[in-house]
Amino acid sequence: MNKNNTQTNIFSLSNDKVSATILLVPALIFCTIFIFIPAIGTIVGSFYSYSLTSMNNWKWVGFGNYVQATQDEYFWVALKNNFIIVFASIVLQVGVGTILAAILDRGIKYGRVIFRTIIFTPMVISSVAVSLIWLIIYDPNVGILNAIFKSIGLSTPSKGWLGDPNISIWMIMITAAWQNTGFMMVLILAGLQGVSKEVYDAAEIDGATGVKAFWYITLPMIRNVLIVAILITTIGAFKVFEFIFVFTQGGPSNATQVLGTYIYLQAFNLLHMGYANALSVILLLIALFLGWLQLKSSRKA
Amino acid sequence: MNILNFVIKKIYLITLSFFLSFGFISSSYAIDITIWDLSGRNGQDEFYDNLNKEYKKINPDVNIILQTFENEAYKTQIQVALNGNDGPDVFFNWFGEDSARLARAGLALDITPYANVEGGYGNYISEGLSNTTAVNGKIYGVPNTSVSKYFHYDPAFFEANSLEVPKTFDDLLNLCKDIRAIDSSIVPWPLGNSERWKLNHVITMLNQRVVGEENTAADYNLSASEDELFTNPAYVEAWQKVVDLQDAGCFQDAPNATHPDLTRSMFASQISPMIYCGTWCGGIFNGEGFSDFSYFRFPEVVGGAGAATVGFLVPSGMMVSAKTPHPEIAAHVASFMVSDDMALQAAELMGFMPSNPTKIGEMSNPTHWFNFYVNDIADKTGHVNVLDVLLEANVSNAYLDMGTEILNRTKTPQEAMDFIRQVALEAKAAM
Repeated sequence: MNKNNTQTNIFSLSNDKVSATILLVPALIFCTIFIFIPAIGTIVGSFYSYSLTSMNNWKWVGFGNYVQATQDEYFWVALKNNFIIVFASIVLQVGVGTILAAILDRGIKYGRVIFRTIIFTPMVISSVAVSLIWLIIYDPNVGILNAIFKSIGLSTPSKGWLGDPNISIWMIMITAAWQNTGFMMVLILAGLQGVSKEVYDAAEIDGATGVKAFWYITLPMIRNVLIVAILITTIGAFKVFEFIFVFTQGGPSNATQVLGTYIYLQAFNLLHMGYANALSVILLLIALFLGWLQLKSSRKA
Repeated sequence: MNILNFVIKKIYLITLSFFLSFGFISSSYAIDITIWDLSGRNGQDEFYDNLNKEYKKINPDVNIILQTFENEAYKTQIQVALNGNDGPDVFFNWFGEDSARLARAGLALDITPYANVEGGYGNYISEGLSNTTAVNGKIYGVPNTSVSKYFHYDPAFFEANSLEVPKTFDDLLNLCKDIRAIDSSIVPWPLGNSERWKLNHVITMLNQRVVGEENTAADYNLSASEDELFTNPAYVEAWQKVVDLQDAGCFQDAPNATHPDLTRSMFASQISPMIYCGTWCGGIFNGEGFSDFSYFRFPEVVGGAGAATVGFLVPSGMMVSAKTPHPEIAAHVASFMVSDDMALQAAELMGFMPSNPTKIGEMSNPTHWFNFYVNDIADKTGHVNVLDVLLEANVSNAYLDMGTEILNRTKTPQEAMDFIRQVALEAKAAM
């Protein structure tokens, strides 16, 4: 009887394995075609010099493309800009998102759904459409931002909001924050709503209310949600492309160049496909590291 | 096991339906010829509808399918598409380094054998024009138009303020100052350089006027020696002229943050009295409600090495993909686009300066700007191609970047040329 049972179990186990393998095959095929093969191709291509219009003429350069990256002034500008975007996005999107979530959770009694919907709405608009709308707002000749500044007697940047290399990256950040803060708010709001009311009641007895309760009760309780929000924002900031491309294409004078747009410039405009591959591998390594951090913190959460 | 059977059945059904649909498609005789072109041309849809109808009269089994793309996006997408297997059969290009690079890479088809067949492009356009697409003696494109650039101005404004058309570069500077003196809020010459190419067209002309086309040739094709490459001090002088224009108040405050479309609208709505704009602009101004404009050439630079009778000219037209499964038909369609009747339609509907002028006299009510462009291009003693089409990609990008830096005053003309020379030396070494 025991023997029979064992045989049945082994049979059903192997049957499950076969089923599981079959069910995994489509996903594996798609991952192989769309992720693994391109990723391997990118890594291999990063050791060669070739262009999009000379695909049959690959020249081996070893680590030459990586060495070139270390000596490339604009690569460092792009990397620095990515870090600026990470910092600014965390402050503007996660920081402001947390404040808005706290207000919606406990600060106001009426109209929560309306405010939440209004703040979240930009998130559902395509980034390209958002950029085009803000491009008009920032226009130095007919834009509403200039008109507002002038109407209250303030001066506007003579090179334009997006034409001045010192401020253009920050203007793009404001737009990105406008679009993405709503998402962060909803994410953090979900975390806030998971905090038990009893904890606040107990804290109130101990004299912790308002900002004190937010600082000592709310923030520690949603720590893991905040970590995930920060990592999502950080990874998004390293992948940023559409905003920069539509607004400035990395200009003026490469002042808003980020890794995404710089890779595009090298690959498709300057035809340095091998070098672009090397830059992509560097970006991939950064993204993998951040992804690993995210996984680690998610498990903790 | 049920799951396994289910999956096998599904795979069988999907495979069967795939082969059935493939069989159905291949049983049809229709041939699709896909054409990629830039978007936004007036009359474009009507022209291509007519092209499809007219071509069906001589080859009923061919469907011409048009796909259009925005200018900047097209420059990248066409390269990607030609490397893939789903690209166009026939595609638009500017003839210069861009088209030559595709030819050298084997992505564009050598259409020399199709020149003199029945209906071939050799029957419609001159050999000289075909040769603008030649690489190593082989023809890779069918030019269907050329674009040039002129100052367009508002004669009513000029007359009302007793302003005169400038003959020299100094006159142009004085004109800007005079317009600012009339009303400091008027932008004499709006410059939309957010995409970088607008100033590139201006420096193309300034290099020709100041440095001279004979002196630029060896630098532009990187054949000058390393000691001499882009060392002519006249290049710095040409950039200095841009600074002079800015100092004279010609441009608005933030040219690097202004889109070219907006500057065209500023002129068309008569907010600004002049603009340096291409031969495609006349139709745009007219479309925006302003047709009483006039034109003048880029003025002479006194003491410069280049003649004032030389103009800006970029031939453009159609190339055939080397991967098209129907090379003969694709080349025939490209040729048909410059046939007598279609060239006339391209001129009438899209305002093209046709490469085949056989029926140009039959145009019904040609616009005044069309007549001016055609006659003036014919009158010129020579032409220069625009730098962002002509130069090697890295040098071209350096010129584009330095235009932005000069306008922002983050680099001096000398620093800009030092940078361009450095990039040119690296590009020459990599050749």
